[in-house]
Amino acid sequence: MNKATKKELGVGIFFAVLAIAYILESLNVSTFTPFGNRGLDSQSVPAMIGWLSFGLSVLYIIITLVKDRKNRRMEATENDQVCDVDNVVCMDIPQNAKKLSLTRIIPIKLLLSLVYLFLYFLFYQSLGFILSSIGYLIAESVLLTEKTKRKKWALFITLFSVGIVVLIYVVFTNYLTLFLPKGILG
Amino acid sequence: MLEMLLSGFGAVFTDPVCIIMIILGTTVGIIFGALPGLTTVAGLSMFLPVTYAMASGTGLSMLTAIYIGGMSGGLISAILLNIPGTPSSIATCFDGSPMAKNGQAGKALGLAVFASLVGTAISIFFMIILSPTLASLTIKFGPWEYFSVTLFALTLISALCGKSVIKGLLSALFGMMFATVGLSPIDSARRFTFGSLQLTSGFNLLAVLVGLYAISEVLATAGSNQPPAKVHEYKMRGLGFTYKDIKGQGLNLIRSAFIGLGIGILPGIGGSTSNIIAYSVAKTSSKHPEKFGTGIPDGIIASESSNNASIGGAMIPLLTLGIPGDGATAILLGGFMLHGMQPGPMLFQTNGATVYHIFASMILSTLVMATVMYLGMRFIVKILKVPANILLPVIVVLCSIGAYALNNRIFDMWGLIIFGIIGLVMSKVGIPAPPFILGFILEGAFETNLRRGLEYSNGNFFEVFTRPISATFLILAVVSLAATIIKQQIANKKARPKEVN
Repeated sequence: MNKATKKELGVGIFFAVLAIAYILESLNVSTFTPFGNRGLDSQSVPAMIGWLSFGLSVLYIIITLVKDRKNRRMEATENDQVCDVDNVVCMDIPQNAKKLSLTRIIPIKLLLSLVYLFLYFLFYQSLGFILSSIGYLIAESVLLTEKTKRKKWALFITLFSVGIVVLIYVVFTNYLTLFLPKGILG
Repeated sequence: MLEMLLSGFGAVFTDPVCIIMIILGTTVGIIFGALPGLTTVAGLSMFLPVTYAMASGTGLSMLTAIYIGGMSGGLISAILLNIPGTPSSIATCFDGSPMAKNGQAGKALGLAVFASLVGTAISIFFMIILSPTLASLTIKFGPWEYFSVTLFALTLISALCGKSVIKGLLSALFGMMFATVGLSPIDSARRFTFGSLQLTSGFNLLAVLVGLYAISEVLATAGSNQPPAKVHEYKMRGLGFTYKDIKGQGLNLIRSAFIGLGIGILPGIGGSTSNIIAYSVAKTSSKHPEKFGTGIPDGIIASESSNNASIGGAMIPLLTLGIPGDGATAILLGGFMLHGMQPGPMLFQTNGATVYHIFASMILSTLVMATVMYLGMRFIVKILKVPANILLPVIVVLCSIGAYALNNRIFDMWGLIIFGIIGLVMSKVGIPAPPFILGFILEGAFETNLRRGLEYSNGNFFEVFTRPISATFLILAVVSLAATIIKQQIANKKARPKEVN
């Protein structure tokens, strides 16, 4: 079983498990029949969604396994093609056009970005918009800067972060009448 | 109609704030479209909260201006960097970049802006003509008709998006699952709230949209290690091209615009699909298909005319049925709701003046887009050089303001992270996002109309088949699914690899 098949199986299994959990939880939905038993209650549509998801995910698992079996006997051939973002249409890339390369994901930067985002939202209310945003901007900007250039960028990033956050705060609270948490500065 | 449109122009031109917001929105849209990794949807998500304090007409005019600018901005990076700024400009790279390499970047940019202008103008014209007519038809819809249309939209988008129909359907159902969290329609029963008061009001549409499109985009870009691309030098005098360059391109221009318009109307797909189809059609119908990809105007005109024409197309189902045609119109739907309007057949009755205000501002935005692109190209190209390490964190901060300002609660911000991760994972495992969004948006209408229809018909579901409009849409739903499955089977057979001994 190749990596792609494992990934597709994972998708199928995820949806199957999700559907089962959803169906079980839908049983706890309290039902009312304010207009008598003429139609559906508030449990029916979630149950429908759950069972349909389960059926489709099982079907997807089966199709993936069948395809994998076939593919083991086959040799894959792939053309240089480009597809739209929704994979509705694909076309061969013109000979003279350069093939668009997909970006490679670096999980560590991605994970750290998520952690910073989590901490940012966690302290958004208590520290306030200005402090939490300055902290987030500095941390995230440094993370995204190449290691060798971090020292060179440090001062600019700090000054830019402070300046832009104060500007955003003033514009949004004074001119766009939005409320932003002041936190410990309030 | 003409009177309403003129009063719309009156409302736009007598309000200096509105004109400023249109210019600002268009410029912001162009910049977001031009920057690789950022899309129109991210720009719209970021600037949605900016419109909170504005009058509804002005706020929505700004959002539609961002939409028009964003769809056009992608051509700049497609030509000068050979990286499509938005997925709608993929095909622009094919001939735009070779032209830039041949020292004709100015001509390529000029032609692309011209094609964008014509494509947008044609689609807006048809949007203004078709929308009120369709709205007057859909006003006669009852619950069964709405149920069928919703089902049709969900099956169509699931069938069209992604390589697998099942994955598309699962994505739509996944979105519907999130939409059922909170109070149920009709009888307000608590569902999937797990005792949490916050979950009682469900997940906010804006948090879902911003998380799924903007945050996931930012995270994906943050995690990529793509080196900064080299910007081609360009010189552009006047429009950048001569009459000779566009002579004989009329059919290509108009045909591509109609392709974009038609594809834009279909729910869930838009410019990213239409530009590739229009390019393919232009190539196959050309007398010199071998020249495509070497840097000829035909390819640029086809791509840019079609992707911009999908704007008007995508707006039609949004305005008449409340069904967004693509990701950007899904944000616009959120914008309408935030300003107390419900897109759909009643929109022209209840907020006719605002709708025509938006139509007028879209026409103005189209002209502003071309003007900004022609006059401000030098400035936009400079922005292409702003490093991502500075830009991306600012976008996250602005998106978080939008989510927080909805209800002044942190819960909606957690929604950003949740849906940001969901969006990122979905893109990694090849699950299309548009069906998820449409499932989330349409679940309410689907459930409400199904339950209402059954109540009116005393529990008789077969009544849906006895009504001509609802029966037609159900047949269309089945046909669209069946056609896609058959098409995939044929494609699979054709692409079946050679057997290994």
